[in-house]
Amino acid sequence: MPVIEIDGRTIEAPAGRNVLETAEAAGIAIPHFCYHPAFAAEGSCRMCLVEVEGSPKLELACALVVRDGLKVRTGTTAVREARRSVLEFFLADHPIDCPICDKAGECTLQDYYAAYDMAESRGREPKERRDKLVRIGEKLLLDRERCVLCTRCVRFLAQTTKTRELGVVERGVHAEIATFPGELIRSADSGNLVDLCPVGAITSTDFRFKTRPWFLKHADAICNLCARGCNIFIDHHPGFYRIPGSARIYRVRPRPNDAVNGYFMCDHGRAGFVADHRTGRRERIGGNGTGAAEGAWDWDRALSVAAEKLGALRAAGKGGRIGAILHSGLTNEELGLIRSLLAAVDAGGAAFADPPDGEASGILLLADRTPNRSGASALGFETRGTDPAAVAGRSDLLLVFETNRARVPSGSAAEEALRRAPAKILFTTHETATAGFADLVLPVAAPAENRGSYTNADGRVQPFEAAVLPCLDVRPLADVLTDLARRIGERP
Amino acid sequence: MNGAALLTRGFDRPDLFRIDAYLDTGGYAALRKALTGMTPAAILAEVKAASLRGRGGAGFPAGMKWGFVPQAAGAPRYLCVNADEGEPGTFKDRFILAHTPHLMIEGIILTCYAVGIETAYVYIRGEYEMIARRLEAAVDEARARGFLGKDILESGFNLEIVVHRGAGAYICGEETALLESLEGKRGLPRLKPPFPAVIGLFGRPTVINNVETLANVPLIVQNGAAWFLEQGRPKDGGTRLFGVSGPVVRPGVYELPVGASLRDLIFTHAGGLKPGKTLKAVIPGGLSSPLLKPDEIDVALSCDAVAAAGSMLGSAGVIVIDASTPIIDLLGLVTKFYSHESCGQCTPCRIGTAWIHKIVGRIAAGEGCPADLDEILRLAENIKGRTLCPLGDAAALPILAIVRKFRAELEQGMR
Amino acid sequence: MSRAFAPSLADGIALLAGRYPSKQAALLPVLHLVQNELGRVSLDDERSVAEALGIPAMTVHEVVSFYTMFRREPVGRYHLQVCTNVTCTLSGGRTLLEHLKSKLGIRLGETTADGRFTLTGVECLGACEQAPCLMVNFDYHGNLDADAVDALLGGLP
Repeated sequence: MPVIEIDGRTIEAPAGRNVLETAEAAGIAIPHFCYHPAFAAEGSCRMCLVEVEGSPKLELACALVVRDGLKVRTGTTAVREARRSVLEFFLADHPIDCPICDKAGECTLQDYYAAYDMAESRGREPKERRDKLVRIGEKLLLDRERCVLCTRCVRFLAQTTKTRELGVVERGVHAEIATFPGELIRSADSGNLVDLCPVGAITSTDFRFKTRPWFLKHADAICNLCARGCNIFIDHHPGFYRIPGSARIYRVRPRPNDAVNGYFMCDHGRAGFVADHRTGRRERIGGNGTGAAEGAWDWDRALSVAAEKLGALRAAGKGGRIGAILHSGLTNEELGLIRSLLAAVDAGGAAFADPPDGEASGILLLADRTPNRSGASALGFETRGTDPAAVAGRSDLLLVFETNRARVPSGSAAEEALRRAPAKILFTTHETATAGFADLVLPVAAPAENRGSYTNADGRVQPFEAAVLPCLDVRPLADVLTDLARRIGERP
Repeated sequence: MNGAALLTRGFDRPDLFRIDAYLDTGGYAALRKALTGMTPAAILAEVKAASLRGRGGAGFPAGMKWGFVPQAAGAPRYLCVNADEGEPGTFKDRFILAHTPHLMIEGIILTCYAVGIETAYVYIRGEYEMIARRLEAAVDEARARGFLGKDILESGFNLEIVVHRGAGAYICGEETALLESLEGKRGLPRLKPPFPAVIGLFGRPTVINNVETLANVPLIVQNGAAWFLEQGRPKDGGTRLFGVSGPVVRPGVYELPVGASLRDLIFTHAGGLKPGKTLKAVIPGGLSSPLLKPDEIDVALSCDAVAAAGSMLGSAGVIVIDASTPIIDLLGLVTKFYSHESCGQCTPCRIGTAWIHKIVGRIAAGEGCPADLDEILRLAENIKGRTLCPLGDAAALPILAIVRKFRAELEQGMR
Repeated sequence: MSRAFAPSLADGIALLAGRYPSKQAALLPVLHLVQNELGRVSLDDERSVAEALGIPAMTVHEVVSFYTMFRREPVGRYHLQVCTNVTCTLSGGRTLLEHLKSKLGIRLGETTADGRFTLTGVECLGACEQAPCLMVNFDYHGNLDADAVDALLGGLP
């Protein structure tokens, strides 16, 4: 491995790596705009210039590949002067939009400006005026005044998704980012452009003007909308503990993981994760069999009743008349607890009601739209080709687990059979059709409120912790199952 | 055209561009000599020894550049002829292309033979459309006579020349931008390394040479390196085509030995300033070279001598400025050109050239102050040395020279 | 949807594409061919060229917008491209341009009402020894003053 020196420190670097990444890995930050580890070095922003011993000019850290004996200095006067001057060029035409710009607080330009002295502007010339509201995608807006032409967006669509919807038109100071006139970005991974943009030029209509990054907390999580298991950040506001439901998720972003999703995530997950969390949630215990208004029963009462019904069937030797409809979005821990529970009551079979496979799309989205099919398999469950109608048909008591995506389809034979089953206990995150006729409806935590692990399509087990607290009656399913098992107790 | 008549041999014949006339004046003899009795390595050695400096602007030794192509590189390799001639004040390649295209073609064939290249692209600026047609006809003639195509002069060597038009972008005269443009993209210069000799056109080893540079190769092959050096200076052999434009009696192209006197070029060959005009400044090597004041023009026209005088020989396009030109006008034309031609890829050039142009516009409109001149100097210094390609320096250095050398006049205009 | 090119144009494009190891390399020559044939390169033409060369329409669009010789709008019968660079401007080019603007009654970038002349400013044409000069379509004309340019325009068919 080549050994180089950066700011007097001796550092070993893998052959072929550039100085910028080597420095960052060693904790030495070198400012940059156009460089991104997902793409080849571009060298156009000129921000990462560093001093190299033996070289008369400053050189680009992003393009300089490590070699034995290389001596680099990143903090000399010459380097700082170069950075200041390049930064001044960036800011020359940049609109002072910070008060209304989404990116404020997580903006590379802002951060560097603060670090390189926040000097007063010297420019007396009027700034270039450009379009500030260009729709480039269904949910993407481009502000050409803010754009610093780092071309990360263009290169992402050229090198990563290979859909090439963006380009740079005109030249010189009139150069600007554009789509083909009249066309929009259709890539299934277009949301990454917002993360890639170092400034507030590309914004998402889902997030625009909704909050400020400094109000947000960031939680590590795993996306649950397909079997890829992209690592994500949940950016949320924890809310105020006295006000139920004040916690709010504002957006999810990809969390880099070389082995799973690289630096990106797909639009389906990006939008779906947040939408699933926010809309159509089931938050109160209820159900036809409660004979009372929603919210009148508490968990203690609900689980007592459930445990009693289950225990009764077991005691009567009719455990085989207990069935379960599961789905592959349940965590490994939940599935494990369900398996134990079903064994404890000598239950009959289980079937799976999963969302149908979709189109694999873009660079990440897989056809399998469930996060834990591999996990379910590994735990001994058969997830494909099962018959929920049959299981419902031979059950006196059904334990049904659903979400807005994983549910017994409306109007199907399975739903018919479900309706006819004498007793149904529904554990659900959302207001599904089944919630309309189940005897007992128990609201459980959505993934952002939950903890556990999924096993992705590659067999990788990925754990996650709850990011936000659930509200009203909602409880993590694992807790509910543990509680239920305790109440059922050992067989007599 | 006075002075030596090596490149311009036969220019008295208006039909020199036709192959018969060219053959009549001794054309393609060097090619015969090479293909029947010299190895590629021998030609390469001769051109290296001749110290043929690039005639496009950078002045890089051609033989050395050819030598950068790795021995073991394999095929295909390419030659790109830089016929973009966009440097303001430069028109000498046009003369070669229009009057003696076969000299260049012969040079191309010899170069390709020396470096092991079987396809050459002539990247000619789109505005030279009529000349491109003439060049294509010349290429067809050469092929018909067996100087191009397969097994040229039974040497086993093959070569095709493709004439490729540009479309109006000065930056495409920069060698890596030329490659990008030839590949059908915007003319954005590439990061170096890798260098074109290793990874160039279509990812293959590529040599890029200027029209005039290649036109010298038949002379070197025919007469030898020692002879070529004798025509010019040590480390800078041969003659050059010097362009003179501006308010002189005889603007035009003059073939003179490398090292000829700039003063002689202007006042003897070009006849001096027109009646009633006084010399104010001389731009010696195309617009990208820092200008010289009248007391600085006693300089030899060689790459090294002009560099030592604080400027550059560049494309040898001498622009004469007379006293009737307000220096602010010249400055405005310079800044307009570079801001218009900046490709926009890298920050200092994209923003800096436009910013300086705006300041100059304000000064020209009578709203400037001396601090603005300091600002221009500061911005130009910030562009210098920090850009992805030489256009940044090509803009910055002339601007710095104009403002520094004519500061008094610029401030005068502000009162 | 792109409108198909006439067979002769399509053939010309295929011929050009065959000269290079990559079809995209033929883009500038192809755009010249299309523009010479059709007078300009419209968005539809960009799509058609993209299809013919198997490259994204966006790439063609980028290239058309980058190079000054390609235009979206047709020009008059005679495209007068006046050099606005250093030597020409300082040798009477500014006066020449003003003369043309007033004589033709148009501004830079405009076309006369009868569709005969379009006037544009261009960078150095590489004919500085004949400053001031201009191009009429592809023909160079230099050493022009008001009288000479009047004679030139007057002599055009």
